[in-house]
Amino acid sequence: MLKVSKGICTPLSRLLLMRTHVRSRSYGTVIQGSKYTPEYTQYLTLSNGEVGSYFHDIPYELDFNSRTVNMVVEIPRWSNGKFEISRNKEFNPITQDVKNGKVRFVNNIFPFHGYITNYGAIPQTWEDPTVESREEGLKGLKGDNDPLDCCEIGSKVLAMGDIKKVKVLGSLALIDEDELDWKIIVIDLEDPMCDKVNSIHDVEEHFPGLLEATRKWFRDYKIPTGKSANKFAFGGNFKDAEETMSIIKGCHSSWKKLFEQQYGNHISLPAIKRAGSGVIHKSSVVEDGKLPSEVAKWYYV
Amino acid sequence: MVYTARKIGAKNSLDYKVYIEKDGKPVSAFHDIPLYADKANQIFNMVVEIPRWTNAKLEITEEQTLNPIIQDTKKGKLRFVRNCFPHHGYIHNYGAFPQTWEDPNSIHPETKAAGDNDPLDVLEIGETIGYTGQVKQVKVLGVMALLDEGETDWKVIAIDINDPLAPKLNDIEDVETYFPGLLRATNEWFRIYKIPDGKPENQFAFSGEAKNKKYALDVIRECYEAWENLIQGKATDSKKIDLTNTTLAETPSYNPNAAVAVPAADNEPDAPIDKSIDKWFFISGSA
Repeated sequence: MLKVSKGICTPLSRLLLMRTHVRSRSYGTVIQGSKYTPEYTQYLTLSNGEVGSYFHDIPYELDFNSRTVNMVVEIPRWSNGKFEISRNKEFNPITQDVKNGKVRFVNNIFPFHGYITNYGAIPQTWEDPTVESREEGLKGLKGDNDPLDCCEIGSKVLAMGDIKKVKVLGSLALIDEDELDWKIIVIDLEDPMCDKVNSIHDVEEHFPGLLEATRKWFRDYKIPTGKSANKFAFGGNFKDAEETMSIIKGCHSSWKKLFEQQYGNHISLPAIKRAGSGVIHKSSVVEDGKLPSEVAKWYYV
Repeated sequence: MVYTARKIGAKNSLDYKVYIEKDGKPVSAFHDIPLYADKANQIFNMVVEIPRWTNAKLEITEEQTLNPIIQDTKKGKLRFVRNCFPHHGYIHNYGAFPQTWEDPNSIHPETKAAGDNDPLDVLEIGETIGYTGQVKQVKVLGVMALLDEGETDWKVIAIDINDPLAPKLNDIEDVETYFPGLLRATNEWFRIYKIPDGKPENQFAFSGEAKNKKYALDVIRECYEAWENLIQGKATDSKKIDLTNTTLAETPSYNPNAAVAVPAADNEPDAPIDKSIDKWFFISGSA
């Protein structure tokens, strides 16, 4: 008898999902500038060679049966460079965050090295900064004006710009400097452990200590720069996969509104230029910049 | 005295060898570098084998002339330590004290185990990441007695004298003050690091407690004396340690021309590391 259960990814359905995904698109990248400098810019290119937006032109493909969605990898596990989909640059390329004129690296919080998961964003989602949440537990909080962040826990170190189909497992409601900044916990559909994890409970069982480490990491990661510890909504408890699916869907609805001009001339809204006009950028091959030696330092907080 | 590293072959390959050079001429990493950089001030030379946050098990080889640093192999394959959550690779700059030897013929009265037949291991805790073949000057802070598969394998805790925190660190209790949690993490790391390879948990002598600086200095002195016996040909070892050296004229294995046989450095780019090394192993109940 064929049993269909929500969120369970059988090897067959996984294969089908992946094949559809791989067959239907081929993405590329165009890189300009030297890595670890403010000039570094990694653009998405579509199968016809034109430039697209990592934010807007990769379909999010949320699937409630398999509980899957697409992810853009910004920061590989164990690295420190704060690379992210640019909010303001046309076509939202991946760039390194700049603070006071300097490219930004996250500090190593002992016992961790850099980010402890592959880190990235869910395309075609947006945490709306213009509306205060009315939800119990989140009352009065506004979104951080970026796509939804996600933490991929699989065994591989993924690469910047990778586009992965991932399984949604749960989420943590970080309040980062008074903004709501969900962290969606996911696993690469191709990971050998993917079939074994379908819930936050499964993550704790198969990756013991990882959820607590994730919470501690996000709480403390800005302390070395002189900021206070971050807080969490819902007492720092992780939301389950089902609720997380609704959060992602809600952020997709917010994203849609970006294109419906309901926001007027609100300052600093994301750039919304998308593929379609045939813009082509050329790569410039430049050697990586040097990693500053401070990046090796461990902070004991 | 200026020490540099001479690299031969691609890193992460079986051909990789790092010789230490003194004023441009290869010397023995094991025998020719003086243990004491400044005896009056208790400053020691340390040879860095494994940089922090890396996995390749690089070590001073005992069997080859001038004891270059090479990657350990197991069943013909390069050996990498596994990442045990929450750690990434080694959590210190890992290396050895030259001119020391953990004598396998001698049972330590307190650990009740014989030495592991290697130079004495050092964990350097400073904020800078070292490189394979680097000779650092360090200050000794304490020591832990790992019992690795039944052998005593001392791990001396030290800090680079050029580290900004070095002036503040004078004994083992200062490590806990300035690096809270590091000794506990070190203990956990060495206990569990071989579990992913199917081996049992390692044990520490002294209930895992780190001994103080004075104790560590005694251990170093004992290992120096054991090495002195070894280099004079007065000790027996089963590994056939190559004792060739280029600076110790009063020893039977002195050969000032040994460096001639060492190939020139090449600029082989690093070989890629197998992706499977990136896996994190989650060991229940360890953290």
